[in-house]
Order: sequence, then C-alpha cells, then structure tokens
Amino acid sequence: MNDYLNHLSFISAEENALAQEFQKKGYVVIPGENSKIFESMQAFIAQEVAKILNHSYDNAEVYLNEFHHKIDVPDLNAIRVKVISAINAQSWFRKAYYHLAKNALNNLVGNELAMQVRVNLSIQLPNDSSSLLPVHADVWSGDSPFEVVVWVPLVNCYQTKTMFILPHHHYADVSKNFKELSKGNSEDFYQSIEKDLEWVNIKAGEVLIFNQNLPHGNRINTESETRWSMNCRFKGVFTPYGDKKIGEFFEPITLKSLSQIGMNYHFPDIV
Amino acid sequence: MNKVRGYIFSRPFMGERIPQNIQNLAIRDFCSKNDLDFLLSATEYAMADSFLMLANVLDELPQIDGIVAYSLFQLPENDQERQLIFQSILKLNKSFYFALEGLHASTATDFSRIDTLWKVKKTLPRCYLSQLV
Repeated sequence: MNDYLNHLSFISAEENALAQEFQKKGYVVIPGENSKIFESMQAFIAQEVAKILNHSYDNAEVYLNEFHHKIDVPDLNAIRVKVISAINAQSWFRKAYYHLAKNALNNLVGNELAMQVRVNLSIQLPNDSSSLLPVHADVWSGDSPFEVVVWVPLVNCYQTKTMFILPHHHYADVSKNFKELSKGNSEDFYQSIEKDLEWVNIKAGEVLIFNQNLPHGNRINTESETRWSMNCRFKGVFTPYGDKKIGEFFEPITLKSLSQIGMNYHFPDIV
Repeated sequence: MNKVRGYIFSRPFMGERIPQNIQNLAIRDFCSKNDLDFLLSATEYAMADSFLMLANVLDELPQIDGIVAYSLFQLPENDQERQLIFQSILKLNKSFYFALEGLHASTATDFSRIDTLWKVKKTLPRCYLSQLV
C-alpha cells in the first residue's frame, strides 16, 4: 500500500506527457476526441458551401480538397464569410468544436474555460496569395498570453498546405533579437527563422492545439489541394484578458458551481 | 421591421471610454446587419451611477420593440438593479440587444447568460493580473 501511495501523482503520466510535449514544441496534434462530431462538422460545412454555390458532390472531403476547380479567387472571401455566418448560427457548432478537444483542453488550459464567441474558417486555394497569414504571434496584437488556439483542419494538411510554428526552444533567440528582427518586414522576419520552423503535418479528424504566443503563419499553398481549417481560441475564465475581452470576444462555457457561488457571494450587512 | 431605441453612454463604463459617435456607429451597423429599425439613441447622463435615460427608454418600451445598447457593460453594476431591468423587459415581451457583443436577450435564459458575463467581468479585478493592458 505504501508503494502505491508513494507513486500517487496530481497529474497522470498521460496528462504530463501531453503537457510536456506542448511546452517543448509549442503545439500538440491529437486525434479528435469524437470522430462522429468531426464528420458532422465537415459534412455541414461542405453542404453549406455546396448550397451557396449550387454544387453537388459525392464525398465532402474530396469536394473540399478539389474546391479550387470550382471557384474563382475573387469570390472566395464572400463564400468564406457566408459559411462563417452559417456555422456560427448553429447553436450546436461551438459545443461540437469544444468536444473535439475537451480532455486535452482540460489538461493544457483548465476545466473552467472561456471560448471565443465565433469559430473562424480559413480557406487557402492552391497558389492563392490573397489568403496568406504572414508570420506573427497573436499575443503581439493584443491577445492574452493565456490563450490557446484550437485549429481543426477539414482536410489533410501537409507541407505548404499546412501552417508553420516556431517551436518554443527557438523562441528565446527571437525574443532576445526582436528589436533587430522587427526593423524589416514580415518576410525578412520569416527568412530569419525559416530554418527553425516546424510545419504541422495533420490529418482531417485530428486537432492541433497551439501556443499562439509563438510565431506562426502560413505560406502560399503550392500543393494541388485546397486547405480548409477552422480555428477558435480558449482560455481559463479567470486568467488575464488582453484586448479580446469577456463578452465581446470570449464567453464562459464551463463555469463550475463554486465559481458561481463565489461570484454571487456578498458579506452579511453589519450596519 | 422591429423598432429599437439606441442607448449610449456619455461617461466611461467599466474602465472604458468610447466616443459617442463611435458608439452610434456600432449600433447603426448592428441594426443594419440584424434588420432592425434604428431609432435615435438616448444618451445616458454623465453623472456617476445615473440610469435616468435608460429608465426613460424603459418607459417608452410599450411603443417600441426593444433597446440596443452599445455594450452590455453599460447596464447597472448593481446586480439587483440589473435584474429589475431584465424583469421589466421580460414582462413586456421585448428585446435588449448589445451591439458590441452582438448579443440579443429576450428570454429568461438569455438574461441569465448576460448576467453570467456581468458576474465574471465583476470578478476579474479580484483575480491576480486580471487585465494585461
């Protein structure tokens, strides 16, 4: 019994392994925690797009991958905006999104979470420079360092069809030399860190959780398929907020009983 | 089209100060996107804790369909005062919209959601380093 007690831990070996990987690399790729939910989300988005454009298809993933054959670049953003409106109009969509990564978020962030009010969608057609996201860290533009991004691809993402991130162990150099690096443009910055970047290889149905404090972005998709990915931010409800505030950008999704009791508590009147 | 009265502040709220023209711009944009007929905003008095203009708009509610405030954090900080406002809107079966947050409240569940956001916002200053900037 003593041996058993002496080996007890606050954090399980499995949780610790995920946390260590997240700390070291700045991201983790996990299997989606509910494949049926993922398939429903993927199917919903393909249906919405096809409905808007009056298309038909046999297989949602193939349709999304081959989408560049059916759309012109100038029309892309209007479609994207319509689909974002459609997914955020569904009361189930954000709940479904959370359930793709619930256990991992509970492990890495906490179990009392605030979630971004709207889920975003990115579409990157092959060789399209209009949807580029130059290297950046969200925290440099007002996000709280206490936020993570949950990134869900709807198709397999690899090489230039995916996103890159600078692993944590290379960030110290960026931080130390930031004054110098920030004198050029974002392309100069990219070139200076290119050799250290990791390109996240991820399949449809898997989920990427990444530390948005680390430089990340994407390049022109030179693969032969269209990239579709969703992203949404999560943070601890009671951790510091940046420029993205409670109410307008984040909303509590898993407030616990005692927090509700505490928030409603008033000392008895003594006068 | 539902007729809604705008409601803006002439004083800072929850540590924020937003120029009145910007508040009105956000409300107009919200109304246009949500097919609401925007009626000229009532501007709350600058004196601390005044909600006299909001009280006037609540009196006007039987003739209109609802209120669009710039932000939900322009409601009274006092929990009971806030509840009274929610009750008066519920009783008349009207709506309260919040342009900045893009929220619409017309049911008890909706107002409970608004109240939770308020309570978290009020609790944050008691959390260590609740605000970075």
